[in-house]
Amino acid sequence: MTESEAQPEVILKPMLEYASVQTWMDGLRQHWGGDPETDDPERFPIFEAFCLHVGRDPDQIVKETTMLKDGQRRIRIQGRNRYAALIQDWQDAVEGSRFRKAKWGNTVRSFLIHNGVLLQSGVQT
Amino acid sequence: MEFKEVIGRRRSIRFFDPDRPVEHEKIQKMLEAARLASCAVNAQWARAIVAFRKDLTDDQFNRLKTPVAALNVDLAPVHIHWFNDLSIVNKIKGSRLKELVDVGALAPTHGWSHKFVDDFVYPQILEPMTKGPGYPIASTFDVGGAMTQALLTGVDEGLGVCLVTLNGAVLREVFNVPEEWIPLSTILVGYPAESWDGGGQRPRPPFEELYYEGAYGKPFRRDPAVTEELKAAKMIQEPAKPHDPKRIAEIKKLAEQYGLPM
Repeated sequence: MTESEAQPEVILKPMLEYASVQTWMDGLRQHWGGDPETDDPERFPIFEAFCLHVGRDPDQIVKETTMLKDGQRRIRIQGRNRYAALIQDWQDAVEGSRFRKAKWGNTVRSFLIHNGVLLQSGVQT
Repeated sequence: MEFKEVIGRRRSIRFFDPDRPVEHEKIQKMLEAARLASCAVNAQWARAIVAFRKDLTDDQFNRLKTPVAALNVDLAPVHIHWFNDLSIVNKIKGSRLKELVDVGALAPTHGWSHKFVDDFVYPQILEPMTKGPGYPIASTFDVGGAMTQALLTGVDEGLGVCLVTLNGAVLREVFNVPEEWIPLSTILVGYPAESWDGGGQRPRPPFEELYYEGAYGKPFRRDPAVTEELKAAKMIQEPAKPHDPKRIAEIKKLAEQYGLPM
């Protein structure tokens, strides 16, 4: 998928109904404590906005960045690179301060990271 | 700093202060330490390219910032990229061994002579070794020793250090390294933005599971008095604790400071 391609429309279920979002929440809870489902009211709206932007639901995004090979889960290098670029472009287009842009991009990165996709973005502030 | 404390104080620092430059002379000291490391047949396989982040071109910088290394490259003001020069043995053809004979490091008491090197060691051992599949692995072992001395010297100089592996193919291209150099690891260097203890000394397997005495199966006897002595010398330090609220708070603060995902 590239920026120039038209994104298919996606109809999203409530975020917590996706297995990958549950994995994300479990990861946040395990690592940082607290209740990630409620501690940041912007988290889900931001992530939904990204899903709509790329025309993919959360589980599809994980499928496009990981794969099963010989019974083991692996990272799709090209998929990760593609999403790293998509996130950066999307973040750059967000209106507002650098802090706000970083928060939007990092919300999506956090989703991928807690789904096992190592992703670094560099300093954002 | 005392030697034992240097070992105890070293952590893999992952949060550097990107705006605090590292003195050129401190990097030189790290390289000087690497050059003095123990090395089989005195071949000296280790090579390094020091990249001061401020001196990288935009093109170099952007190519190094892959999705798995962007933060490392961004935060650390200095990157020391290490390579193994596989060509060196067949270039020097045993000459450095003969230097060791001349200075009395290798002596006839142990069977060494120029003739032994010329007639046997180089043509019958070293040169064939360079054609074997194990050569890159065995020689890289020695580069690791040199890198470790550089790491510890960095700590002794008050720097934070972290050993990482970047994309070797990218390193080859960005720094135009000779074909016969194998890219290995990179030492990131900078002043830590995180606390020195980094939450404590990192977890390690029990001593008794690692080291044996006499034969496999009989753990090396660990004398508590010795461990106490090493604690007093700050080599063995307070271990890091899982889910330590203080450490979690520190990482959260750093994540906010640098705009990092959580």
